[in-house]
Amino acid sequence: MSDIHLKNLVKSYGENIAVAGIDLHIRQGEFFSLLGPSGCGKSTTLRMIAGFIRPTVGQILIGSDDVTRLPPEKRDIGIVFQNYAIFPHMNVADNIAFGLKLRKKSHEDIDRAVAFALRQVGLVGYENRYQRQLSGGEQQRVALARVLVTEPRILLLDEPLSALDKALREEMKYWIKDLQKSLGITTVYVTHDQDEALTMSDRVGVMQKARVEQVGTPQEIYERPKTLFVTTFIGQSNVIDVTVRGRQGERLSVDFGDSTVLTRAPVAEVSVGSAAKLVIRPENVIIGAAGAGLSATVVSETYQGALVRYRLSVAGQEIVAERQNQAHLARFSPGEVVGVSWDPDRSEALVA
Amino acid sequence: MAATTTTGTADEGTGMRRIGLFRTVSAGPAFWWLVLPAFLFFLVFFVVPTVSLFALAFNKSAAGVISLSSAVTFDNFLRIFTRSIYYESILRSIGIAGAVSFICLVFGYPLAYVIAKTTNPGRNTLLMILVLSSMQLDMVIRLYGLMVLLGDNGLINAMLLRFGIISAALPLMYNVFGVIVGLVQITLPFMILSLIGVIKSIHPSLEEAARSLGASRAKAFFSVVLPLSMPGVLAGTLLVFALAISSYVVPALMGGWKVMVMPIHIYQQVAETGRWQFGAAIAVVLFLTSLMAIAVYHRAAMRTTGGRS
Ligand SMILES: Nc1ncnc2c1ncn2[C@@H]1O[C@H](COP(=O)(O)OP(=O)(O)O)[C@@H](O)[C@H]1O
Ligand SMILES: [Mg+2]
Repeated sequence: MSDIHLKNLVKSYGENIAVAGIDLHIRQGEFFSLLGPSGCGKSTTLRMIAGFIRPTVGQILIGSDDVTRLPPEKRDIGIVFQNYAIFPHMNVADNIAFGLKLRKKSHEDIDRAVAFALRQVGLVGYENRYQRQLSGGEQQRVALARVLVTEPRILLLDEPLSALDKALREEMKYWIKDLQKSLGITTVYVTHDQDEALTMSDRVGVMQKARVEQVGTPQEIYERPKTLFVTTFIGQSNVIDVTVRGRQGERLSVDFGDSTVLTRAPVAEVSVGSAAKLVIRPENVIIGAAGAGLSATVVSETYQGALVRYRLSVAGQEIVAERQNQAHLARFSPGEVVGVSWDPDRSEALVA
Repeated sequence: MAATTTTGTADEGTGMRRIGLFRTVSAGPAFWWLVLPAFLFFLVFFVVPTVSLFALAFNKSAAGVISLSSAVTFDNFLRIFTRSIYYESILRSIGIAGAVSFICLVFGYPLAYVIAKTTNPGRNTLLMILVLSSMQLDMVIRLYGLMVLLGDNGLINAMLLRFGIISAALPLMYNVFGVIVGLVQITLPFMILSLIGVIKSIHPSLEEAARSLGASRAKAFFSVVLPLSMPGVLAGTLLVFALAISSYVVPALMGGWKVMVMPIHIYQQVAETGRWQFGAAIAVVLFLTSLMAIAVYHRAAMRTTGGRS
């Protein structure tokens, strides 16, 4: 098991740049997700780590080995594809034994390893089935078993859940995560699904337009987004136009309509009077009686079971607020004038 | 891929159920009207004449007679299997067609593989044009071209003689070699076209999965791509074999009447001596030989691929 270093990794197809210089350190044993919209370069990055794509520029290290020029079969990696790629002309046992046979293991060793792997993925009794006799979830497990028996240094997964239906996806999400934890194998997981990335990962790299925009724990990514893209791609955010008034240590005061509000200051320098975006998650917007905070008018109320969602008009801009549907919390009706506030530490100022 | 190993039970988890060996396509009455023209054409212009010709094989051989009589005899077949000139031509036909199939497979597979794997649309079109363009010209014209190349005074011999590499012209034509070259030239596109579709249908991730599990490029090819492309290999070789064994024009032009294969005998009997009955008998034997060779090959191929095609 090993860590992975990506150093200034670039892949271009003529004019088209699929990956535009990625620097990442994926730590030993961690579950790292590359999250981003379709076409942002996630698969290209993963396939460069796997060795299927030769980088235009840059370097890839697995452990201390520079594998940049090595073919996939020499990299000691395991990869699970979106379509699972179960060999249709081999049964489950032969699929799982494939990598071990190439490693010239003895028959007894292979049989033992295959039996162990089948137990590990909960497919005992499936030895003689063929791909066409397996459901999507079962193929997924075979694909993982086939990879894990070879004890690769790193595990790569490219949207492994996207072909499954929702219920199975939920189940497999936790199952894969638990398996990964118990093995402690360094894992790179590619997905466009923020929910998967947030639930499964130790750290997430959010990608957009061939670049990694932010790397952090799921909590950091969600609560302290560094860019407007990250904040809008992951979860929902209110993005409000404000004007910078001044910095006060960790805080920034900004003008929002006629009022001045406080927010967490960005690391970057901001000049007084410049335009900025104030970013607040709907669940962090506090609605109170009129007079408490900014004056707002309720535009609509949407009942969502566990949550109640309000659209509010504040100084000509719309803010969405969500709150728990609990008996002791008052409800508001459209047209009502209320007060809106938030914890400054729960909001971000981003310079566009 | 036929579901020949599945039983009538539902596979748990897949929600799929296959009943029996075949899934039937139910066609409404309108469907039958649509196939009727082709069916009638096939019946009138293929089945009727072929059956009539084959029936003639069981009549006594008489020059110039082509009317059917009810007196059945097996004399014509007896003659084929007792005269070496005829039964040897059966073996020669099988041998040449087999060699042509094999050569086409060896030559055609790499090209089909490259075409199937080329993602660049421009390059793909170019390669396809290259393959198909050879089919644009009439067979006879293409063979005349080959004769210009392979003849005693042809390009190859002229060149080798000029540079003193040989002192007498190499026999490149009017022999089995020439016939095989001609047949390969004619049938290679059929092999390539049979293979391209099948190779294209093998998802690239299968080959990549093999590579990631430790297989070299060659190992991944032989353990994954080749076995999965067997349906195309089978279809291509059978098609080429059938075209080669039944070809008359190629052995006639490239063999110069010296390479006696079955279609040449048929032509001679019918067109030169007017013995339609004997010619028909050779045609029947050719037809059955071809069918049998195909059946034997098919069985062997099915066995080596574990009954999967
Ligand atoms: N072989 C290729 N030739 C040209 N462009 C490619 C090729 N492969 C990928 N791309 C482009 O690179 C970009 C990133 O692709 P990809 O890594 O597959 O995205 P993702 O996995 O994030 O959806 C896309 O714009 C895609 O069109
Ligand atoms: Mg992708």
